[in-house]
Amino acid sequence: MAAKLRYPTGVHPLLVDETARRRRVETRFVDQLASAGYAEVVLPIIDYVEPYEALVDRAANRQSYRFVDREGELIAIRSDFTPMLARALSPTMREEDLPLRLFYRGDVIRCEASRLGFKRELFQIGAELVGDASVDADIEMLRLVADLARRPGDEPAIVYNDVSIAAALIAQSGAVQEALAEKRMTSSVPVALQTIVAKLISGEATLDDVAPFAPEAAARLSAIGEALGSDSTFALHLDDIEEIGYYTGLRFRVYAGSARAKAAQGGRYDNLYERFGQPAAAIGFTFTIDDLD
Amino acid sequence: MRIAIPKGRLQDRALGVFADAGYDVPSDADLKTRKLVFDRGGIEWIFVKDCDVPVYVDHGAADAGIAGLDQILEHQCAAYQPVELPFGHCVMRLIAAPGAPSLTRVATKYPRITRQFLEGRGLRAEIVTLGGSVELAAVLKLTSHVVDLVETGETVRIHKLVLQDVIAEISPRLIVAKNFHGTEPKLSRELKVRVEEAVNAMR
Repeated sequence: MAAKLRYPTGVHPLLVDETARRRRVETRFVDQLASAGYAEVVLPIIDYVEPYEALVDRAANRQSYRFVDREGELIAIRSDFTPMLARALSPTMREEDLPLRLFYRGDVIRCEASRLGFKRELFQIGAELVGDASVDADIEMLRLVADLARRPGDEPAIVYNDVSIAAALIAQSGAVQEALAEKRMTSSVPVALQTIVAKLISGEATLDDVAPFAPEAAARLSAIGEALGSDSTFALHLDDIEEIGYYTGLRFRVYAGSARAKAAQGGRYDNLYERFGQPAAAIGFTFTIDDLD
Repeated sequence: MRIAIPKGRLQDRALGVFADAGYDVPSDADLKTRKLVFDRGGIEWIFVKDCDVPVYVDHGAADAGIAGLDQILEHQCAAYQPVELPFGHCVMRLIAAPGAPSLTRVATKYPRITRQFLEGRGLRAEIVTLGGSVELAAVLKLTSHVVDLVETGETVRIHKLVLQDVIAEISPRLIVAKNFHGTEPKLSRELKVRVEEAVNAMR
């Protein structure tokens, strides 16, 4: 029987040229992260499903490939580094070791429940700053992301926001979630929130508008804005509501390359570590390398 | 900016909205040619099959478009949906074959939505994916049920099919790619405001 010519959906081998390109980008990232004081860690490619079950919602759970191993345990193939790093660090982490600056690289496999032909095997390099809740850490990470994404003749666009603003509004009414996600006002949004939600959707909202609902987020975003000054790489988009997931504060996305595709994303997740035993603030980001030069 | 217009049922009214919003849209004479891409007033208008609009927009091949909620849900399209259009509303329903037999097989153009609906209700049935005229599957007893859009209900009446559960209220929407909004917020917001004003004037 002839060998199959095709591969499973969303995966393909990298041959000589593509591999050389991948390694070039990877080497540049690793060198830059190392010189910024980040040390590498390696995380397993598979892990038990059970420790993570409480913290990610059902939709996120379904994006990982799962199987039952020979001992009858439910196992998932790595689909997100961040919770795995929290679980790996938490048991032995000591206060006096903090803050930690770490990075990792490797594949994640996601069975995107989509027919759109997105890749399922993604090569990622990510970095995390664990144990620093300060706004200075937010600024450090934004600058690091910009330095990594910046190429000669290609200035990245970095959009940032704070998910706690949306979370505060959604806590008051679930209808806000749909309105913000679709960017369309609905009559089910409570009257008290209509003005702020409409302003967020239309992009007219200012930090003064959101301050009454999320004072801490407004103060942090204002401090970040001051620190970044007039750098046009960064843009605060209060209307940019990504899925909140385990994020608790700053959230950002990086668009780079001629196609202005999403190259990286990240944010702050201050409650993640305590779910694995040892509370610690943390912020991180992940680049998906496949499309970068 | 590149805007995707769905060919077929929504095409003329979708173009009408953009014309009302002050955009220079391709004319009827243009559309009689076999061209699929038209450059007008600095905007590229592309004409694609309605089910492909979310694909173009999600992949960034188009910055915005008009798509029905049926196609948005079926493709799990991640684009923003800032404006709901005031026409082309219909209902996605579970429809039984004449005599309402028990549920064993469902014919549909929307396998994902159908699977989610069945799972949500704890129902088990085989899904048969068809390209169109799905009611015929129930009429000819290929399947016990179909999942499809009902606009006037005429097809259902003629064939003595039985309307059952409502799965979703469907309306066409302006959809805007997240990447486009992230990188060109001014253009994205202007598009939304202009379409919204045109839509409000139609009500």
